[in-house]
Amino acid sequence: MVNALTCLLKKKVTEELPVRSEDVEALGREIKTTIDAAFGRSLAIRELDTGSDNATEIEINNLNNPFYDVERFGITFVASPRHADVLLVTGAVTHNMAIAARKTYDAMPSPKFVVAVGDDACDGGIFSGTYAVLGGADKILPVDMKIPGNPPTPIQILSGLLALMKKARAE
Amino acid sequence: MTTDKDIGIRAAQEFLGSEVLRNRISAGSNNEHYVFIEESEFESAIAHLAANKFVLISLFCCEGFTANAAQTLFYVFERRTSILVLVRGINGHATSIAGIYPSASWFERECRDGFGVEFEGAFDTRRLFLHETYPEDFHPLKKAFKNAAITTKKSVDPADEYPFREVKGEGVYQVPVGPVHAGIIEPGHFRFSVIGETIFNLEVRMFYKHRGIEKLAEGKSPLDCISIAEAVSGDESVANATAFCMAVEQISQIQIPKRAWYLRTILLELERICAHLGDQAGMLVDVAFPLGANQFSVLREECFRENDRLTGSRFLRGMVAIGGLNRDISKTQLDVLNAFVQQMRKRYKIGLKIVLSTASVIDRFATTGVIRPALLRPLNITGPAARASGGKVDVRINHPYGIYEQFAPKPQRLRDGDVLSRFTIKASEIMDSFDLLERLIKAIPEGDINSDAPIRDGYTLAMVESARGQNLCWVWIKDSAIERYKVRTASFSNWLAIEHAVQGNIVPDFPVINKSLNLSYAGTDL
Repeated sequence: MVNALTCLLKKKVTEELPVRSEDVEALGREIKTTIDAAFGRSLAIRELDTGSDNATEIEINNLNNPFYDVERFGITFVASPRHADVLLVTGAVTHNMAIAARKTYDAMPSPKFVVAVGDDACDGGIFSGTYAVLGGADKILPVDMKIPGNPPTPIQILSGLLALMKKARAE
Repeated sequence: MTTDKDIGIRAAQEFLGSEVLRNRISAGSNNEHYVFIEESEFESAIAHLAANKFVLISLFCCEGFTANAAQTLFYVFERRTSILVLVRGINGHATSIAGIYPSASWFERECRDGFGVEFEGAFDTRRLFLHETYPEDFHPLKKAFKNAAITTKKSVDPADEYPFREVKGEGVYQVPVGPVHAGIIEPGHFRFSVIGETIFNLEVRMFYKHRGIEKLAEGKSPLDCISIAEAVSGDESVANATAFCMAVEQISQIQIPKRAWYLRTILLELERICAHLGDQAGMLVDVAFPLGANQFSVLREECFRENDRLTGSRFLRGMVAIGGLNRDISKTQLDVLNAFVQQMRKRYKIGLKIVLSTASVIDRFATTGVIRPALLRPLNITGPAARASGGKVDVRINHPYGIYEQFAPKPQRLRDGDVLSRFTIKASEIMDSFDLLERLIKAIPEGDINSDAPIRDGYTLAMVESARGQNLCWVWIKDSAIERYKVRTASFSNWLAIEHAVQGNIVPDFPVINKSLNLSYAGTDL
């Protein structure tokens, strides 16, 4: 018979993760608890690059490597905005991406949240006030949370997401 | 190889005559030669260079270079170790050379968007980096335009949408993909024309991320420009910053301390390892082999963490400076790095063995996405992509910068040009970079890491071998400020290779073909 105790005590079918860092585990546990409480078990994220230098994409991608493996904590990256709770926006918004960015946001079901990741997405960064960009993500979308950094590290991105969920729950 | 360096001059002698050439040639500070060319001589010069296997590696425009022409076009040609730049003064109009050099097409469209230069006889005159929402007759790189926010259209009428090449015929249909993709990747549009499952034609449309890097640099002090160079493409931060600083140093004749070059080279090779590991992991994800992919993504994360320990940045940012480096790396740190490299090499070999002994992976990789060797020269394909298709060029070997003459990488060359070749070439390059790191750490001298010297005015071309291939920049400093910063990354050159590589393949193989080249959208769109 399967009960909660056998789930905990029985030998696992899979192998241990080859790598483990305690700060990630601690943050992950808190994220999992908060996602369970605020979103009912899972948080679906759609990533949108509106003009980054690709370093932020790399760090967001790194959240899926075995060091972080954020799916354990209830975070999934989804292929379509139609499945997403959160839009992670990276880079200043270029004129060439403005329409596509707007369409992506419009395709998301409500309630929805927008997080600007990286200095350029937060306020346009070094591209602020130039001909090719509109500025930060908040120039065209309602931004709920900003995670600064050039680029922010995976841990900083996770901490930002945690802050977003706490904020969402408080509201 | 001294004779090789003169190939360009000899060719110029042939199409201009020694007598004429003497007054028209000037040597740049990076072994490149500038030849000023008259309109009447231009066509025969291009024909001569094409017949003699010169590759057009860049073509760019600037204003105010000479008194008697509104714009000046620089045609940069490479053959083996020689670089020849044809300098052509024009007044708003020029003849196109895209019919002879297909790689010129994107360059010419770039010049047209930036400066309003019309190229007569061009087979493609669509706008390139200015998409539909930009106003007509807007040319941001003209000096008359001061960089400031502009208003663009909020929507685009269907009639004004970008016209893609249409392939018609029974059973041919189009698959539009992007700019927003399903994965966590940068934006770009791929227009497939497909028959059944087979790709008949692909047209790539880029520049969604155009951030105006080149205009942003104008008028800035060279010091302020380093962070702009780092922002060209995140995973090539060191390569692009090094190319930019090298240009400024060559213009100003600044000698860099030996130790600084050793450390720069260590950073350049670390960046290459990180990039290649990411590509390899990505290729394995795209053939649904996570066991293999995670071997490499774990190593890559550890590399990022090592980068952070060494420099305080996972992307090695903020280190490269004009005249050397901003911070030293201590002997203890280098010893730790050495031990790190040793164990990385061991674990990398284990991962590689798992991958290369998995039949399903080889089955997906082999014969997929072939880039034919005949395409290398006309399209100017560069880097590991070229070396997997029989190409030989590696900037570290052909135009050695810093200390690469002393620490030359092993020449890598495969001929099949498929995904498997690109995977294998990148594996060999990673192993070679481990060796280079070890040798560099062993031989690094003590001493200063920065030389303080004044920055002078002038212009030059600088090239580095980034993970993706040849990255080139041309820097012109005037009155102590950047007058023009032209960047041409390896990605810009290699995008067109994908259009050819996918033909005859099935749509589901597109992701792995794309990932095997793993080009930077940011580095292309600027």
